Amino acid sequence: MKPISLILIKCCFLLLLTTSPSFVFAQDLNTSDALAKVSEAEKMGENYAFENPDDRKTFLKLTAELRCPMCQNQNIADSDAMIAHDMRRKVYQLMLQGSSENEIIEFMKQRYGDFVYYQPPVTPVTIWLWALPILFFFVMMGVFLMRRQAEPEENIEAKLAAANKLLKDD
Amino acid sequence: MKRITWFMLPLILFLGLAVFLFQGLYSDPKARESTAVAKAFPDFNLPDLMDESIMYDNSVFDGQITLINVWGVWCTTCAIELPYLESLKNQGYRVVGLYYDQDLDPDFGTKTIDRVRTEVIATLSKFGDPYAFNIFDVYRNTSLDLGVTGAPETFLVDQQGVILVHHLGDLNERVWRNKFAPILADIKPMTDSSDVEVSPDVGSSSVGASSAEVGGGE
Repeated sequence: MKPISLILIKCCFLLLLTTSPSFVFAQDLNTSDALAKVSEAEKMGENYAFENPDDRKTFLKLTAELRCPMCQNQNIADSDAMIAHDMRRKVYQLMLQGSSENEIIEFMKQRYGDFVYYQPPVTPVTIWLWALPILFFFVMMGVFLMRRQAEPEENIEAKLAAANKLLKDD
Repeated sequence: MKRITWFMLPLILFLGLAVFLFQGLYSDPKARESTAVAKAFPDFNLPDLMDESIMYDNSVFDGQITLINVWGVWCTTCAIELPYLESLKNQGYRVVGLYYDQDLDPDFGTKTIDRVRTEVIATLSKFGDPYAFNIFDVYRNTSLDLGVTGAPETFLVDQQGVILVHHLGDLNERVWRNKFAPILADIKPMTDSSDVEVSPDVGSSSVGASSAEVGGGE
């Protein structure tokens, strides 16, 4: 029951988003927001230093994409929960050990489930997140076309009936 | 007739949405499936909380069913569940603490190990001491490997060191009856038939009384 309700929420959300052109901008804002918060956290005393600027970007990206299991709607960059601190530290340690981005995501998924990563995996259950909006579009398109085709026929019948009526009245 | 179906469609959609949203009012947003269950307890090599010269590893599980309780003195709910855990200990279950502290870490400031020990002794003498011993998860790496999100959490580990139950939140009589007792009933007969008599006793009056106290405390 749980994944289905999740899907439905997501679908409603997607439908809302697709109808709003501000969606793209909103998403951009969110990521840059998160990044700004990470650098804030860094200033506040958590110092994760990287020699390579690319590694720093990867770290910021990972902490923005991994979700805090304690405070559900925050990423680990944003959250001040102890578990988020520990996860940031773990991400840093794993990066220093030479783990790739995907290996770190896998590491966290093994411990905290798919929940921990903001990008859901495509499974038979979650495929509907992408399929339903498209399906909805085509169904609505079909309905629209059917209605348009139906209209002229009705008009002809109505006109015929009106003509017949006129003839009979005469 | 076709017109009626078109008229009904929005109504049906609305009702569907209403039912779905209504369910959402009573669902637990924190409920998640644990990834730790049915896996071996992650490898660890950690000191005793009270005496760092004693080291523990996965051999602590050998041949015994163990309840691993993740806790800390800074956690209020952990203190509240201590009396219930003690009653489990009195029923013959082996409860082992996996202790972690917020302040003993560069991220959170400094607290000496002696102060942590004093606080632990104070808490345990006040609320009851259910633990056979406490494993000190110094850098919280084992907690992270277990998928712990916060204290308290309790794991049921079998004689081969495999995790059977992962419970988030406090352990009380209701949780024990619904989540732990059925699984224990499944594994107990295989190991020791004399212990079977203990399991049905779980819901007995003495336990009921202590959990009622716990409920009142909240």
